[in-house]
Amino acid sequence: MKKNIFNNYLKKFDDMPKAFRKSKYIFCYLMVALAVINFCIFYVAVNINSILLAFREFTGYDEYYHEQYVWSFANFIRMFKDFALPNSTVGVAVKNTLKYFATNIFFMIPVSYLVSYFLFKQVYGYKVFRVIFFLPSIISAVVYVTVFKNFIQTFGPLYMVLKGISGYELPALLSNPKTATPTIIVYTIWTGLGINMILYQGAMKRVPVEVLEACEMDGGGWFHEMFYVITPMVWPTLSMTIILAFTGLFNSSGPILLFSEAGTVAGANDTTTIAFYIFQRTQTGGALEYPAAIGIFFTVASIPIVILTRALFKRLDPEVEY
Amino acid sequence: MQRKVRGIGKKIIMNIIFVCFLLYAISLIYPLIWAFLSSLKTSTEYMTTNKINLPQTWEFYNYVKAFQILNIDGNNMFTMLFNSIWFTVGGSFVGMAVSTMVAYVVAKYRFPGGQTIYWIAIVTMMIPVVGSMPSQFKVYTALGIIESPLLLIAFAGGFGFNFMILYSFFKSLPSSYIEAGFIDGAGHFTCFFRIMIPQAIPVVSALAIVSAIGFWNDYNTPLLFLKNFPTLSSGLYMYQIINTRNLDMPTLFAGILMSMIPIVALFTVFQNSIMDISLSGGLKG
Repeated sequence: MKKNIFNNYLKKFDDMPKAFRKSKYIFCYLMVALAVINFCIFYVAVNINSILLAFREFTGYDEYYHEQYVWSFANFIRMFKDFALPNSTVGVAVKNTLKYFATNIFFMIPVSYLVSYFLFKQVYGYKVFRVIFFLPSIISAVVYVTVFKNFIQTFGPLYMVLKGISGYELPALLSNPKTATPTIIVYTIWTGLGINMILYQGAMKRVPVEVLEACEMDGGGWFHEMFYVITPMVWPTLSMTIILAFTGLFNSSGPILLFSEAGTVAGANDTTTIAFYIFQRTQTGGALEYPAAIGIFFTVASIPIVILTRALFKRLDPEVEY
Repeated sequence: MQRKVRGIGKKIIMNIIFVCFLLYAISLIYPLIWAFLSSLKTSTEYMTTNKINLPQTWEFYNYVKAFQILNIDGNNMFTMLFNSIWFTVGGSFVGMAVSTMVAYVVAKYRFPGGQTIYWIAIVTMMIPVVGSMPSQFKVYTALGIIESPLLLIAFAGGFGFNFMILYSFFKSLPSSYIEAGFIDGAGHFTCFFRIMIPQAIPVVSALAIVSAIGFWNDYNTPLLFLKNFPTLSSGLYMYQIINTRNLDMPTLFAGILMSMIPIVALFTVFQNSIMDISLSGGLKG
């Protein structure tokens, strides 16, 4: 009898003594209390405050030196005006953000997928490679960027090697606005393959060996195996990383701050991205209304992108069962 | 299980791939080795001689000097290390504790609001908030948690990636364990702490390590909200910015190389469990 009651207690919980049921609710609400309070303050309140900041405009001080604000679209109007100007910070930020995003979608995801495939195919030393390729994801960007910056500096190791081999003199890549962003992008590629690689490899390991053997017996080559057998089977993981890249579109950035020197950003304002611009404005203090408005605008702009990407990928899903 | 590679064409491709991988691996490792060798030079030697030469004398003293001269507003590397430790341990502990608690009850109990919490977790993960830093700055300042270890309460959020993994873990854990506990007279809290938590330790600790790595390497948050408490990541960055004109590079290299030791050690010990979360985690589907 007792066993019956407790069996599948999730459903039968309501049959239990009243005192027990009551204690259940106390327990549940105590357990979620912290998370809910934290969510209300650090998610709901913070984001509502973002919206409030975005829609207000500073108009001056009253006789008691209190700051005076009115509700307005001024911040958004300023953003659109800025955007229309050639070489405005906002314009540059959007352009660079798209560059980081494109690098991720068209280069980093495919390359880390290919790398994962060959690690999965057990190229010699794959165990060591796997750890080394993952290393930049664990080691602080402060460490890697500091080393990288000094490595590519004039008279640094790369400069000396290139000069020794071909006589080519490596220019100062980070102080030239034209080459600064591409250099940081190269850095993000160089150190950024690890995370996706671990995810893809995990998914590939779950593909049953029999399926791969069947493919090989049928005379399927690597190309065939990769695109017609493995890709559909690891699709949930692969599509997840692509969806995440799309949803994080306007957050795409690199460790731009770390590339700055003597208080000036590498390549001055030409390296900024949306996320970095907002960070920088917050860090340097001053009026936060304008960066808040930019944040709100791009958050809202990314919602249709999120919905569209999810809908599209739901259609593409090959729904392989194994 | 060793899969054999058949066919000459495939072997050639495998060799080309191997060479590419080897070059990439060297490109990732060599700069670190170069930084290590440079950290053993004297400042003058680093400035004046060819940077790829080996050090003339091996100045291990630079590693002691790092603790003496790498200093930001009176915070030396010991203080930065201390700040890094409380920031990392505290941040990942409160985050993990809260998300374990909420994931457990939402996965195992039916109560009004439980499903709502689940959906909130999903939806907030899907909407990418762009740059809420300005508002965070205002709210944290109003709460008085800025420039103080109290900032850690901001990380006691229960949702996000950790919630999803733990939720699917507790969902997959049979409820009969709890039933057995109830029959033996245990209450809800006893069941949670004495029966469920011990089983969740592998998952929880793997997630905790990943989050600890994130906190240790985070320089944005300390730069914005903990300027007076520089961690190793933010402090060593600020040091470079402030002292650009007269940087003792070898000593700085010694400092930054030491700053990565705890994380590399942690990774080496827990390497398998870190790689495992991504394997078994609830990421699929």
